[in-house]
Amino acid sequence: MMNSKKILNLAILLSFTILSSCSEEWLEPKPLSFYAPENVYVDEAGFEALLVTMRKDIKSEFYAERGPISNEHAMSDLGVPGAQSNRVVKDFPQVLTPAGDGGNHDFPGRLFNIAYNSIRNANVMVSRIDNVDWESENIRNRLLASAYFYRAYWYYRLVNSYGDVPFIGKEVTGPKLNFYTHSRWVILDKIQEDLEWGVDWLPESADPGALTKGAGNHLLAKIALANLDFEGSIAAASKVIEGPYGLMTERFGIHASDPSRNIFWDLHRLDNVNDPANTETILSVIDRFLDPDGAKTNGSRLPRIYNPAWWHSRNRDSSGGPGTVADGLQYDSLFRGNGNCRPTPYYLYEIWDYENDLRRSDNNWVEWNEIIYNNPGSPDFGKPIDRANYAVAVDTFQHNYSFPHYKTFVPEQDPAANPAGGNGDQYVFRLAETYLLRAEAHFWKGDLSAAANDLNRVRQRAGALPVALNEVDIDFIFDERARELFTEEPRHGEMVRASYIMAQQNINGYSLDNFSDKNWFYDRVMRTNVFFQINLTWGQQSYSISPHNALWPIPETVISENTLGRINQNQGYIGASQNVPPLETIE
Amino acid sequence: MKFPLLKSLMFWTKIGIMCFLLFPFNNGSTAKAPGRDSLSRAPSPISSEGIVLQIEDDITVTGRVTDQNGNPIPGATVSIPGTSVGTATDIEGYYSLELPEGATIVFSFIGYLSQNIEVGNKSVINVVLLENPTDLDEVVVIGYGTQKKSDLTGAVMRVDAKTFQNQNVTQLSEMLTGTVAGFNANQGTSASGGSSLEVRGPTSLSAGTSPLIVLDGVIFNGSLQDINPNDIETMDILKDASSAAVFGSRAASGVILITTTKGQTGKPTINFTTQIGLAEVTNSDVRPLNKKEYTDFRRDLLIKENPSSPAYFYQNPNELPGDISLEQWINYNNNPNQDNTTEWLNRLLFFPEESENYLAGTGENWYDKVMQKGLRQNYDLSLSGGSEKIKYYWSLGSINNEGIITGDNFSTIRSRLNLDAEVTDWMKVGLNSQFSERNESNVQANLGQMLISSPFGSKFEEDGSVKWFPNGYLGAQNPLVNHLKQDKLRKIQNLFVTLYTELELPLGFSYKLSFQPRYTFLRDHNFWNSETILGGQTRSRGFGTREDSQIFEWMVDNLLKWNKRIGIHNFDVTFLYNIEKFQSWLSYQSGETFNPNQNLSFHGLQFATNHLVNNDDVYSTGDALMGRLNYTLMDKYLLTASLRRDGYSAFGQQNPRAIFPAAALAWKISDEAFFSSELVENLKLRLSWGINGNRDIGRYSALARLSQNLYSNGSQVLVGVFNNSLANPGLVWEKTQAFNIGLDLGLWEGRINASLEMYDMVTEDLLMERNLPQVTGFDNITTNLGELENRGLEFTLNTVNRNTNNFTWRSDFVFSLNRNKIVSLFGDFEEVEVNGEIITREVSDISNQWFIGQALDRVWNYDITGVWQMDETDEAQSYGLSPGDYKAVDVNSDGSYTTLEDKQFIGWSQPRYRIGLRNEFTFLQNFSASVFIRADLGHIGSVSDFLHNSSNLYDRRGMRAIPYWTEENPSSQFGSLTATSGAYGGGYNIYFPRSFVRIQDLTLAYNVPVSIVQRMKLNNLRLFGSIRNLYSFDKWENWDPESGGSPMPRIYSMGLNVTF
Repeated sequence: MMNSKKILNLAILLSFTILSSCSEEWLEPKPLSFYAPENVYVDEAGFEALLVTMRKDIKSEFYAERGPISNEHAMSDLGVPGAQSNRVVKDFPQVLTPAGDGGNHDFPGRLFNIAYNSIRNANVMVSRIDNVDWESENIRNRLLASAYFYRAYWYYRLVNSYGDVPFIGKEVTGPKLNFYTHSRWVILDKIQEDLEWGVDWLPESADPGALTKGAGNHLLAKIALANLDFEGSIAAASKVIEGPYGLMTERFGIHASDPSRNIFWDLHRLDNVNDPANTETILSVIDRFLDPDGAKTNGSRLPRIYNPAWWHSRNRDSSGGPGTVADGLQYDSLFRGNGNCRPTPYYLYEIWDYENDLRRSDNNWVEWNEIIYNNPGSPDFGKPIDRANYAVAVDTFQHNYSFPHYKTFVPEQDPAANPAGGNGDQYVFRLAETYLLRAEAHFWKGDLSAAANDLNRVRQRAGALPVALNEVDIDFIFDERARELFTEEPRHGEMVRASYIMAQQNINGYSLDNFSDKNWFYDRVMRTNVFFQINLTWGQQSYSISPHNALWPIPETVISENTLGRINQNQGYIGASQNVPPLETIE
Repeated sequence: MKFPLLKSLMFWTKIGIMCFLLFPFNNGSTAKAPGRDSLSRAPSPISSEGIVLQIEDDITVTGRVTDQNGNPIPGATVSIPGTSVGTATDIEGYYSLELPEGATIVFSFIGYLSQNIEVGNKSVINVVLLENPTDLDEVVVIGYGTQKKSDLTGAVMRVDAKTFQNQNVTQLSEMLTGTVAGFNANQGTSASGGSSLEVRGPTSLSAGTSPLIVLDGVIFNGSLQDINPNDIETMDILKDASSAAVFGSRAASGVILITTTKGQTGKPTINFTTQIGLAEVTNSDVRPLNKKEYTDFRRDLLIKENPSSPAYFYQNPNELPGDISLEQWINYNNNPNQDNTTEWLNRLLFFPEESENYLAGTGENWYDKVMQKGLRQNYDLSLSGGSEKIKYYWSLGSINNEGIITGDNFSTIRSRLNLDAEVTDWMKVGLNSQFSERNESNVQANLGQMLISSPFGSKFEEDGSVKWFPNGYLGAQNPLVNHLKQDKLRKIQNLFVTLYTELELPLGFSYKLSFQPRYTFLRDHNFWNSETILGGQTRSRGFGTREDSQIFEWMVDNLLKWNKRIGIHNFDVTFLYNIEKFQSWLSYQSGETFNPNQNLSFHGLQFATNHLVNNDDVYSTGDALMGRLNYTLMDKYLLTASLRRDGYSAFGQQNPRAIFPAAALAWKISDEAFFSSELVENLKLRLSWGINGNRDIGRYSALARLSQNLYSNGSQVLVGVFNNSLANPGLVWEKTQAFNIGLDLGLWEGRINASLEMYDMVTEDLLMERNLPQVTGFDNITTNLGELENRGLEFTLNTVNRNTNNFTWRSDFVFSLNRNKIVSLFGDFEEVEVNGEIITREVSDISNQWFIGQALDRVWNYDITGVWQMDETDEAQSYGLSPGDYKAVDVNSDGSYTTLEDKQFIGWSQPRYRIGLRNEFTFLQNFSASVFIRADLGHIGSVSDFLHNSSNLYDRRGMRAIPYWTEENPSSQFGSLTATSGAYGGGYNIYFPRSFVRIQDLTLAYNVPVSIVQRMKLNNLRLFGSIRNLYSFDKWENWDPESGGSPMPRIYSMGLNVTF
């Protein structure tokens, strides 16, 4: 019995010794399957991984049915949101509100959120760069310059779509809710300054999708232009133009041997964007079908956005039945378009001043009357669509229009997929735009002949007649941008940028004081976009736009969640009466 | 050793050990605690041999004493009051007694209500004794120990599993739906059953509010699904802070203590139960449009969307009014189809598939394909018994349930082994273990797709394969495609074991050491082949995923107890030291594009050409120290005081530990000398206070986390990272401080028992995901802020209305209400003008709908008063609306609906009052029945169907069949088919009352008479049946007022229970 007693005593003693072993280490958290900032941002590889995210963030602009770049077109002189659904914004003054989401285009929120998410990533790098003892200044400065580039890229987008916005320049590490809006101009100053320093530290050449000096200078040219530093803009653009780039003039890439196509067809094949032969690419985003799930998107969606819904049952044949079906003939080449951005007649017909312009050549385009009835059960099978057969004429608006096939021909790599546009790389910056930027800078400076020179470099390659000096004006420059850069540029933002340049200089009676009442953007849209002119009714809404819609509203939640500060709303939208003067300095 | 509590505990422990070493064991004569005597207090059988037979004309009465469920009551007293005549029942419940004619016998047994029966000329008297619902001598489980009910100082409610033994119960939480005052639980609707769990009120904004589960005295972090309700003896629910405080950091949301069945000394008992049941949906009003409705709906939509079309343009050509000729109708169109019906269908934008089915008179009734009647089967077998030294209980149960949605299926096998062994008279060892396997490999039909389906769609393609898009529209998927074609294996195995040893030490000390490992193994494998949309369209040539995870956690409890009575003082002291560790491992892999074929399903992901892997391993640790004193003075004045310190690795490294104190007092007024009332049997006042914690947040919530991002440079995959969450090193526990006042009253020898509880709980340092403005790039940060208050009242009344041998009737009534209020949130203040005055007030959180001074469940929205009618067109237009749109109160009359100005507080989303009423009857000797009626009252809920938010898709698919406004058939309640959310700043919703009164349970049982049972060589045989959710009275416009948006089953079941 004593034995067991001893065992018992021992057991109790043992169990109580556990008590004294109770220690702080026991409660230390152990993250096992995720990284923390402290163990990643310690060397070049860690920061490089953060850069990969920033590089990828830009991709969000391009690969969605209603992504930012397509929104920039669908609210401009070149297009309108064309889907019939009443969730699609057509009546901008009524529907584009800070609280409303602007229909399923989400004009207020989509770009805003993507931009600030990426700015967060850039700020993490900016704030942590000096926590590491760098072996060489080169590495540090290249990383920091890259972060500056991406931050500048997004602020450039923000100030041209929303005007004044809060500038966040540091990593946010706690619950901060006291943000204020900065003036657009002080943001432009800041990002121009950052980039002017940074561009020298970027490499001459890099992997597809990665930053180079050329990308830095191209963005700098844009920012300087927006900031009315025309000399700076010309200087930066010239560095790109003098760099290892050149406009493509010879056939190349996957369809190079197809005699029915031309150079513009080659230029806009997504497979050719990063073809080694392509000297026009300055910065691109990468999207390959064979990449793993997380690395690729569901597809470019380009035909979905810009092509008509020619496959819809509203396309009646002569018997009054559905002449087209979403299957079979033509479905794999014209795809399942939806007219999310319905091009205006202005883009389709009016801006083409020279009939032999390769960018409008017949083999690059599908005209409305080239679309055929593809319903095998239809008596008109194989015949071209006859507009007399529509139940009502307005049905052609979303379902039957001409489109630039060379920009939207993106077959699905997966035969079972819904043909809405497959995977492939896209341009972010292309040399043709650098010429057009420099042309515009020359124009604002008053150097019309230099401007015409640059315009003509672009026009010449397209086989268009050179522009005469007396024809060069800001409208011509924006027409040229449209001819060259449709589907590629942030159209609305670039127009707002030009509007600010005019307002700042009080050109044509524009001024900063009443920007939301009178601006060049609105005037040009009303001059060129027939859908707004005639208030076309499609579905339940009629197309309409107001001068204040030039700037998109700041999402309401951003303002309401910022409980300790005041983020301004743009004039003309609900909530603007609470505004305080924007900050004019950045600390 | 920074902590004074730990220091003092160590000190006392050392003293204890010294004492223990100093005093040699006194085997066999260890003083038993006085409190324990009462545990084993059993009636001493009165020997019939000792009775002096004085009266000549005695008769002999025999019979059997059983409980309501036909189980024998051994040792029950059968006597004639005021005399020494009496006997006790034997182990089978039988008795035999000689007594004078005309006498009245009293049958009594502890824990049961006595029954008086006039003998008359009967010679056989079988008696059913009713359990005393509030037996004061009953032993109730409290944290880390037990206590006599009469000695309780806190608010503890007991649920007896026997009450539910005639019902079909899949999970034990189903016993708690509406039955306990202050316990808020809503029924689950799937085949796996279950219910939500909440004690008193929500004590947190974002952290979990499920109560802590304690199983046979130890904390159980597993799923309630893994506990077989048939193994349950009782559940005790700790509601107030003091009684729960011994679980400190885990206790703020209340505690459920579950006690499983233990073996009893005696011959082996085999118990077998089988049940078979049928489940059907309670409400068949929620359904897709039928054929007629579909064409009408499309016509009405197009009329609304195309106001410029000619009248009757969309009308069926065969139903034109007199003044419109067919000719006219045809010529409305530039290019009419030769066939008028086809022309009409084209105008209605029918897809070719739909037109074909319309013309052929075919189509599909999706409701009948998606909803089903489900078969339910339960089998339970248990074996128990034991010798003096070793007792055992073993059970095996199996459930196979079908739900009311096609494909909903749940099966489980659960087994339990409880062993207790007395190794020596001072040492016990034991084991409580449970193993379960759940099979959740079901792929349900898709309810949402059913509701938007077209009745003119087809289920199959011509070649016999499943048609993905039955009516031709890509947004309306076949509700059955995954049910028919997806492969799924999802199985979860669980093992939970408690190994313990208990030592009786000298001087009233005892020590218990227990170790509780828990293992969970989960496999979730899925394969979508090319015939599914996911594996054939979204991804090509098949898509497979495999998730395998494992949880291993363990806990060690050291419990030292001391129980001593010194004169009028009784001490019961408990010390606890606990440590725990949790680890889990998750491996996920997926693959798509299988070659050469997809026949291996998820068994061969290596044949995919595109792979993804993901791992998520989790680790956390905790520790706890606790001390508690239960002190009783003169058996009338009771005091409980406790202190617990907890540590947990999930909290910020600045504050990994916290201390939780509690105290309670009780006064048995009815035991006072000055209190003498024949009527009042028991009167007790209780007061308690305590602070409890909530640690139910993500295990890494305090840490900043980098997420992964894949990209490519065209030739190589790149791995990117980004900051996904913000760190908060100062994160601390959420603390709830609560007061409770309770009053217990027992009248007429326990025939009426009432108890009233009132409480006030204040939660501080609320754990919440604080929303951040999007400009930060983060959605939110986990932080401690604010204050939340819950106050409430609970009333429980148990009455015995009739108690005769032929008929007994007992009622249990529960009532509760909880009122909560957000006292403070972020501590941010704003200056606003209210009625012309500038006031400073704390800023509410609009985006989360949290308002200072209002309840958490306060509904803040537009007050919809009706629908704009045709004669109000102009007024509607000024709001950017048109007739048929919803009309709301424009609070500031500024002609627009804006979030901050025009939204109002229009109700609450949680019940304001909860009522439960159970009536139990026994009649005709062998029958028992019960009916349980439940009511949740005063709350509202939104039904978004009525907003027609996706009306832009109505021209290509259907919708749920609901009434709507049209110009011809204007409604004042329901809006037209088009959405108008744009005009309402911040969006709006349509609310309906969610109050309901429900006949929730109805049971009937028949105990086969003793004579028959004996002939069958059985101990007991019971047949029973029940109906759950028989009927509910409500005005809710969706599936069910309790479940909201999911269909509620009505369950019919029949069963048989046999004991050998």
